[in-house]
Amino acid sequence: MRSLTLDHVSFWYPATASPALRDVSLEVVQGEVVALVGALGAGASTLLLVAADLAPRVIGGRLAGTVARRDRSGIVLPTPWTQASGMAFTVWDEVAFGPANLGWPAHEIARQVDRALERLELVPLASRDPVTLSGGELQRVIIAAILAMDPGFVLFDEPAAELDAEGARTLWRLIRLLAKEGKAVLLATSALDAIPEVADRVVWLEDGAVRAVGTPDLLADVAACDAGLGTSVATVWRAGGLPEPYPLTVAHAVQRWR
Amino acid sequence: MTPVLRLDGVSFSYGAVPALENLSFSIAPGERIALLGRNGAGKSTVVRLVAGLERPDQGAVWVGDWDARDCAPEQLARRVGSVFQHADQQLFASTVRDDVSFGPRALGLGEREVERRTDDALEDLDLTPHAAHHPYDLPPAFRKLAALAGALALEPALLVLDEPTIGLDRALRARVTRALLERSAAGVALLVITHDLTFAAETLERGLVLDRGHLACDEQLAGLVGDATRLEPLGLVPPPIAALSAALDLPGRPVRAAEVARELARVARGRPVP
Repeated sequence: MRSLTLDHVSFWYPATASPALRDVSLEVVQGEVVALVGALGAGASTLLLVAADLAPRVIGGRLAGTVARRDRSGIVLPTPWTQASGMAFTVWDEVAFGPANLGWPAHEIARQVDRALERLELVPLASRDPVTLSGGELQRVIIAAILAMDPGFVLFDEPAAELDAEGARTLWRLIRLLAKEGKAVLLATSALDAIPEVADRVVWLEDGAVRAVGTPDLLADVAACDAGLGTSVATVWRAGGLPEPYPLTVAHAVQRWR
Repeated sequence: MTPVLRLDGVSFSYGAVPALENLSFSIAPGERIALLGRNGAGKSTVVRLVAGLERPDQGAVWVGDWDARDCAPEQLARRVGSVFQHADQQLFASTVRDDVSFGPRALGLGEREVERRTDDALEDLDLTPHAAHHPYDLPPAFRKLAALAGALALEPALLVLDEPTIGLDRALRARVTRALLERSAAGVALLVITHDLTFAAETLERGLVLDRGHLACDEQLAGLVGDATRLEPLGLVPPPIAALSAALDLPGRPVRAAEVARELARVARGRPVP
């Protein structure tokens, strides 16, 4: 079932002449994780804002083409400290803020909040004041707050940026699990080495347009390596002058080396 | 030689929440240090102490021969250039150039010296084409580089950077690596907090790992970052390049991309074509 369909979408930020997105067509279906990759400024964050109905509705600008959304979406921005409500004195209340604003009954709010805190391994921090948290802890709180609203379609912009290695691993596993539960996930990440584990499909954006779509194997292509978008393993394989096809991950490299 | 930084039995708490306990280490001129550890291990607290924004509850922070407890942050800025987490939010001037030159100008340097330092810092990070831009007209990644340029322009004995690579793509990370290696070669010491072990392995040489406010490990990164068994209990994971080097048992177990590529090529040449 389609969760999001972009059909020939272009988008211009306010007071800019050249579009940040150019004629992008893309579908994300339920149960699927799609990763957006690209150099800085390629349009991945903009595409998420459009998908979340924040652009142009909230931030202004102009859209051409059509966007069809079937599910209620939640977006995790790359700047968690801008996403906290600032109105909660405990982590539990922060995570409850969204569900409460959806007007859910108290028992349902409590159920969703407890579940989200558990999934992000935040239970020990439930009574902490959000302002006392580290960057990575706050990022997990924001992710929990979005998931507690039970969106059918989840958008993540650099969700692991503030996380340590364990936190990142937990998050990538959780994202796989969300897809397994039937949610659609669209994420932008510069953590290219995590993509083979987490994504079903990769969309390579360049200068606002879709340059290529494929499986994560796309990140072992010569072109991707040369554009700085290969996985670390593929990139070092190419740098060593070894023959194609390049391995995507350490495990692939070990197989090829034998 | 006097260390550029010495922490001597430092403890610090945020109210009832302890952040650092009896932490001691020192950094020599030109050393390149990664400060590693889980979220909440106390890494950013070290930055705040060294910048003079917090005072230790116990112990002392020495910046060269200055006791940081007796120094205001603006005095410490003569020796320590700090870039905080989310530095891209902290620019305030109306052009990148004005922002970068603010630090050296505040040090009371002559205008010619301010200009030279500003030009060098912008040049080192390839920001010269953006010098006249308003910082908030640039993407966050470039604002982050501008904040780093501001710290470089102080030409301090020690650069303290909190997560300098968040939000940067591979090309910009390489640019930061290049600039930091140049400064280090000129004698500047680096203390860099990072979760990005790929960047740490490329740029830095010695790793300090904090675990719940304690110093759990202090050794050369080259031996540490490929060692999954030892990293795991500290909440760290080997970066793919180091993991590859270990998995293929490359001679010397290199951990930097260029060295791994070289070893791959060398070993592959000596093997029959599959």
